[in-house]
Amino acid sequence: MLTSQLPPSTHPFADIIHRLEQGGSMLPDTEENLMQIIGLYKAYAVPMDFYWRDLLYIAEQVFLDPLPAFKYFLPQEYLDLANHYAGETADLRIWRGYSTAHQELLDFMAKGELKTKIPKLFHHLYHDRINMEFAEECMRAMFWHRNMGGLLEPYMDSEEYKQNADRAIRAYFQGNPIMLGLYRLFPEMFLEQCRQATMYSVLGLFWEVMAPVFFEMSDIYDEGGFKGVPDAMNFLVNGIFAIAGRPIYHRVNIRGEWFDLVPKAKGFTWLYEAAFPYVEAVFYRTSPFRGTKSYNAQAQEVPTDQNDFHYGVLYADKFPVASAGIPPTLLHQDMYHFLPPYLIDYYQKFCRGKDDMLIQLAVSFQRSMYNVTSAVIQAGRAAFLYPLDDPNPRHLLANRAYFEGQLTRFANPKYGMNKAARILAIQSQNYR
Amino acid sequence: MATIVDIAVNNSAFSTLVAAVSAANLVDALQSPGPFTVFAPTNDAFAKLPGGTITTLLQNIPQLSRILTYHVAAGRYYKQDLKGQNCLASLEGSPIDLFITEGEFEVNNATVINADISADNGVIHVIDRVILMRPHWFHPIMNNRLVKA
Repeated sequence: MLTSQLPPSTHPFADIIHRLEQGGSMLPDTEENLMQIIGLYKAYAVPMDFYWRDLLYIAEQVFLDPLPAFKYFLPQEYLDLANHYAGETADLRIWRGYSTAHQELLDFMAKGELKTKIPKLFHHLYHDRINMEFAEECMRAMFWHRNMGGLLEPYMDSEEYKQNADRAIRAYFQGNPIMLGLYRLFPEMFLEQCRQATMYSVLGLFWEVMAPVFFEMSDIYDEGGFKGVPDAMNFLVNGIFAIAGRPIYHRVNIRGEWFDLVPKAKGFTWLYEAAFPYVEAVFYRTSPFRGTKSYNAQAQEVPTDQNDFHYGVLYADKFPVASAGIPPTLLHQDMYHFLPPYLIDYYQKFCRGKDDMLIQLAVSFQRSMYNVTSAVIQAGRAAFLYPLDDPNPRHLLANRAYFEGQLTRFANPKYGMNKAARILAIQSQNYR
Repeated sequence: MATIVDIAVNNSAFSTLVAAVSAANLVDALQSPGPFTVFAPTNDAFAKLPGGTITTLLQNIPQLSRILTYHVAAGRYYKQDLKGQNCLASLEGSPIDLFITEGEFEVNNATVINADISADNGVIHVIDRVILMRPHWFHPIMNNRLVKA
């Protein structure tokens, strides 16, 4: 490896920097890590198959419904919606399986954790269902943080978007003088609701890709196809490149007619307008969670600059607060239903066994997201910088500055970010 | 003299680029008087992209044309004209970073392997890698030095 041309890094995370320079991940390459992250990708992909479908349903059909009580009741049409990256009809076949909703998801939706077939409404009220609140929290994080790159954000403030939204609002509330009257009084509020619906669509289109990626990774692992953590990371890197140009758009169906809020023709892409903002908003930032832990804003425990927010999964204390926000207990609860058998056996061996499974899987999930973040960092390096074996030392130094710059975020003492980051914890197998 | 498009069409090393420009309906634009500065990736440059990248872009023309217009700047800029500048605005809107010394000419992470090919309506610099827009957070990350406790 030509990185030996450079002197060793003096960064506090030098070992991890050197590993990245050799094509590795922030997560150490061990069999145990590989098993945990792939098992979690599988457990994540099943609820994600619901999330993306419901996010698109809300963006395209529920749209501005002022009382969207049934927005989590996914109609058959959206369960049958063909994923563009799975099955035989795929634009690009990432998962070799099928394009409609995953069978394990359908089985769970029918009977829930109760394992009893009762009307959907009762499953819903008993909270025995897929927790869309988590998906919406991610959407809100992307919507709220903003300014994370890409052209969608300036577009949502443009005159063109406002006109598109205006047409859709008028069509949606046609024949409803009360809502149209409110629109006249508070146009900005309606416009902001349209922007939120656009973010539903963005996240839905983003996850439509990730679900088949994770299903395929799980299948490859089951077939013995991954030799280690770097293989799993490189599969993600290649997937990111393959899908980079996927269009990001938002359209609304109003009485059978499609209205474009963000047309495909704007040229917005999966990588720039969805993936990078998603990673920044959800993995790094999100927002201080409401639960048993309090933050004192007057004591400057909450950053005044949103760029310094550090409540994402990479910093999460895996404490069961039962909320949709980070550490996302609701997501953990969703993944708990779809764990592969090898992970259930594994979790029973440690800590408090089955009683402790939600926390153990949360920590595995954190490891798996450090691996996804590593894939995004390596993809960024490949897209914007140089190959790892580049013969030019100046290029290798640029790669190093990039890796160090990324990892410095986890070493920042401001607001105790360095203590919150779990990058050192995941280096050891004893963190569980 | 020939136009930018004529030069590319007559060189087999640009067949992927020509196919992409045709698919994106940008031929007429690049035949117009311009002038333009085009950073033209060779077939080998396109081949460096991981599998599937081009397939997805060819299925989505507006997205393909956005990537292609990132390789074009308005105006005729020879290497000599760009010396001392560290970036150039692309037609896509994002800046292209420049690194120019006596012996080196780089744009973003690509190396110019053949500079200053004159055309009727501009100039072509041949590059060894497809360049992708660097997001606004890229430079802050590159300069994100350690914060002392």
